[in-house]
Amino acid sequence: MNSKNIQSETEEYTFVAASASLEDEDMIEVLVGKETLLIARTNGNVHAVDGICSHAYAELVDGELEDHCLYCPLHFAAFDIRDGSVLEGPADTPLSVYEVFEQDGSIWVKV
Amino acid sequence: MTNVNATTLIVGSGIAGIHAAETLRAKGYGGRIVLADRDSSLPYDRPPLSKEFMLGEVSEDEIALKTEEYLQELGIELWLGEEVVSVDSKKQSAVLSNGKTLEWDKLLLATGSGLRKLPVKGSELNGIYYLKTLADANAIKEKLKNIEQVAVVGAGFIGAELASTFKKLGKEVTIIEWSPLPLAHILGDEMGEYFLKLHQSEGIRTIMGDSVTEFKGDGEVEEIVTGQGKSIPCQAVIIGVGVMPNTQILNEELDIERGYIVNEFGETSLPNIYAAGDCSMWPFLGKHISIEHWDHAMNHGQNVATNILEENSTPYEAVPYFWSDQYEKRLQYFGNSKNWNRTLIRGDKDEGEFSYFYLDENNVIEAALLVNQPRNAISVRRLIKQQKPVDLNLLSDSNVKLKKCVADA
Repeated sequence: MNSKNIQSETEEYTFVAASASLEDEDMIEVLVGKETLLIARTNGNVHAVDGICSHAYAELVDGELEDHCLYCPLHFAAFDIRDGSVLEGPADTPLSVYEVFEQDGSIWVKV
Repeated sequence: MTNVNATTLIVGSGIAGIHAAETLRAKGYGGRIVLADRDSSLPYDRPPLSKEFMLGEVSEDEIALKTEEYLQELGIELWLGEEVVSVDSKKQSAVLSNGKTLEWDKLLLATGSGLRKLPVKGSELNGIYYLKTLADANAIKEKLKNIEQVAVVGAGFIGAELASTFKKLGKEVTIIEWSPLPLAHILGDEMGEYFLKLHQSEGIRTIMGDSVTEFKGDGEVEEIVTGQGKSIPCQAVIIGVGVMPNTQILNEELDIERGYIVNEFGETSLPNIYAAGDCSMWPFLGKHISIEHWDHAMNHGQNVATNILEENSTPYEAVPYFWSDQYEKRLQYFGNSKNWNRTLIRGDKDEGEFSYFYLDENNVIEAALLVNQPRNAISVRRLIKQQKPVDLNLLSDSNVKLKKCVADA
């Protein structure tokens, strides 16, 4: 999915998805500039982290989200979607976390 | 901290050994941990050697596994370049190549596997390589700079990955494989055909059902001669014809088949001696199997360490898994199946994205191959772990979620 910048609203945030398109437990991958991000909703809250695993190249959107626990589909490293921290190896580097907010039916992220 | 006066000797600082050492510390082992390896380089990750490292996409630094400082902080003594030459299982001691003797309370054999060799005429020529170590990978990389034609002997996972890499590097590549179809002994004929066509569609010359009888050349390899009389011009040969577990240590005393036989806790046939990773054979769903792959080595190393520390508390139940990247395809294989009753495809082979299942007579999934479908990985692994019959119609329908494919009891 491509993002579009809405300059007039704010320079810093990028619109990434409509709220309605991201149900609970859903994950989507978006490209913002050169960054591949994973946007996910769990327990009602939206989170944005690196879209690529910090361990080896794999798209996390192909993984699984269970509560706040995000599993990579390649080597099954687990991360906390809320703060990017490693919950289970083989990864040892946390995922970057991006500021995200939801307003008027839109999800915005700051990269 | 527990066991402060104990010593655990881990032989081999590969994936299994290093994860075992880390796990012992992480779970509170307070004793001495000695991690000895006959190799003198710091532990590094091997999967990239045939792919990203060979392509020049990642550097030596990036494939390093752990730094010396990190291991020091954990109080793990890394003895590099020190081979264990003999073990006394009764006195619980080991003699190392430098003459040192170390007494241990627990011994973990994580000795890995070694490459099968191809002993044919002309093997001493320059330009013939095997790929196991970083030094091998560097030598191959250097050689490739100045040549055009490369031959790969063996169309297994390593051979296929190398063929793919060499093609990306712009080389003219020939693969020679002894069996009629690549990987058919693991994946079956239908997938063997698929991977043969994949090589061919990428412009690789494939010679199947034939074997190498001689390397010819004058100092440097120039040509391969096959059993069927074919001649393949090449300036470099890379041989990947399989591995054999390293079981030299206590070879006479321990039960060994293809690897040290261990139980579900990683114990060998002698007390206080454990084995993990490539060098071991372990029980998976009632059968002893050996898996020479990264993911198993990591999980098994961690699991056996747990059992060393917590007295056989945790049976090893991980679903075997390996992956391979060839051309633009990501392969993921889960489970273990040798005599499947039937196979089933979900998705379309021609689209290049599908899952291929190996089922037993009760329609329980024994194994699955995923081609460019990482999104199915976690669900497939779970289905194999559950060992419940599946509904074949549902499983073959890509629109039905995998977790909905379990048959009604």
